[in-house]
Amino acid sequence: MAVDQAQLNELFAEPAANQRRCIIRAVDVKKTYRMGSQEVHALRGATLDIFQGEYLSIMGPSGSGKSTLFNAIGGLSKPTSGKVYINQVDVAQLDHNELAWLRCRSIGYIFQSYNLIQVMTCLENVTLPMAFAGLQSEEAREKGLYILKLVGLGHRALHKPAELSGGQQQRCAIARALANSPEIILADEPTANLDLRTGEEMIDLLAKLKAELNVTIVSATHDLKMLQKSDRILWIADGSIIKMAHPSEIDFSKGEIH
Amino acid sequence: MSTTLPNRVIQEQVKLPVAIALEVVLQGIRIRLGRSIVTILGVALGIAFLMSILTSQLIRQGVSNEQKTRAEIQRMISFLTADSGPLRDRTIGVIQTGPLSPLETRFLDGIRDSRPASVLWAPASLGVAAPPSVQAVALAAVARDASAVVVMGDGSLPVMDWPSILEPSRQKVVAFARKIPPGKAPSTESQPAPVYAIAGATVVDLSRELKQDEIDARNAALKTERYRSVWIIVVSLLVTVIGISNSMLMSVTERFREIGTMKCLGALSSFIRRLFLIESTLVGTIGALLGVLFGIIFPLVLYGWSFSLGMVIGSLNWGQLGLYGLFSLVVGIVLSMVAAVYPARFASRMVPAAALRSNI
Repeated sequence: MAVDQAQLNELFAEPAANQRRCIIRAVDVKKTYRMGSQEVHALRGATLDIFQGEYLSIMGPSGSGKSTLFNAIGGLSKPTSGKVYINQVDVAQLDHNELAWLRCRSIGYIFQSYNLIQVMTCLENVTLPMAFAGLQSEEAREKGLYILKLVGLGHRALHKPAELSGGQQQRCAIARALANSPEIILADEPTANLDLRTGEEMIDLLAKLKAELNVTIVSATHDLKMLQKSDRILWIADGSIIKMAHPSEIDFSKGEIH
Repeated sequence: MSTTLPNRVIQEQVKLPVAIALEVVLQGIRIRLGRSIVTILGVALGIAFLMSILTSQLIRQGVSNEQKTRAEIQRMISFLTADSGPLRDRTIGVIQTGPLSPLETRFLDGIRDSRPASVLWAPASLGVAAPPSVQAVALAAVARDASAVVVMGDGSLPVMDWPSILEPSRQKVVAFARKIPPGKAPSTESQPAPVYAIAGATVVDLSRELKQDEIDARNAALKTERYRSVWIIVVSLLVTVIGISNSMLMSVTERFREIGTMKCLGALSSFIRRLFLIESTLVGTIGALLGVLFGIIFPLVLYGWSFSLGMVIGSLNWGQLGLYGLFSLVVGIVLSMVAAVYPARFASRMVPAAALRSNI
């Protein structure tokens, strides 16, 4: 589908001073999987804007399309139809080379199971994306150590992931996500594998980073603590966005939050 | 190429130098040493199988040829002794007309092994070099002192006064190690008859011409043997292909998540392919080298046990063995690379979300 440049300019016109900049925009994103002879509609048309510096949580039961939406807006998979703009660039129009550039510099990913590279030390895990961005090893090492200190893992820089606790591994993953100073951090259930207290520490860390570095955080989560710290909460069920709310509008004291 | 949209320019991702890929690979192999060794052993096993089949074939061929040669020399010596009596403690003369065939060289050794008092060697003409550890004497000395004269070599006896040269050896035995083609028989200008007729000595023809049915049988056996070797090599290649592919495929597919993670961090597909290309080349080379070594040593020891190690080593066609070794080495490296790069290529093209989801 050809994109009209004028229309695009209008869409991404510089925001007025009181307006926030839209950093991720999803327009009618649909995703259909084929499972055998059956078609599964994982996403039935999701439209949303995510603004710079905000903390957005995506909520939904498993199988609701939460991860699909997460992957689509993170440039990790291509939607069947609809458009995803990251930083005002249509992701579908990028070739694999440019996508790699985007993933490397604009987005930091955090996963539920950390996904650290087991054969590398913490520091090497953090400097790897810097190497992909073409940073010299000496410079990368310095920056990596700085970031590890920032997430409170400076004393463990030369340890392998297997020698670290879950919380420390997730801290390392957060440090890695920050390696190339991205504008967006995508976190897929970052606290799900951690105990309550460590999870809370992780949430505080993310909130601190958000405040200090003005990064946009998008996270898929079930964690109530995480929801409370969010700026906005998005509910998704059966492939559709059913609700968008501010934490203050939600009564967390009840058993259910719907 | 860059896609320009308002306010933002997406650039080409940096292409990393090979040195960084090599560093990552070596580190990976070092840390995952146990796993790498298993993969290397998988490759080594496949190549050792192929190489041991090839080596065994060569050894069997060598031993069989050696046994045939020994039997043939035994036959020639018995033919010689049948007419001249045992060679032991006698003086035997050898006239060499030209280059010796391998069989004649061995025959000469056979004569010397029969413990004669001495072996007098003389060239039939100038320019025939003496075999190693043989003292040359004059033709006349051979004719005078030897009680049996063996003529061998690829050449004709030169035209000269053979009757008077061989005069002292009258009543002796003159044996020809190979059939003398018509016209090559020694003669004088005045009497163009075979030398032995004139010399009056007992003449023995030690050469043996194969009969047509013998030749046919030998060719048929060769043909069967060739078909069988092709079949065995094809089957063992198949086993090797499957073995190596299996271990390389496993070592790559179990790292799909890692590949997905790297893509999320901004790795280019080409970088990931390069990683696996380097790793599989290293693993394939080490594994194939080990396999070739093992595939040579194992059959050598086994066959050396049932025959004798000296015979096996002495009769082996080492040049051919070297070629087989090179072949197996190349097969091992190429197979490892293909078997690793194919899934790595597949993984590097996967959408990161799918690669991350894979759980092996």
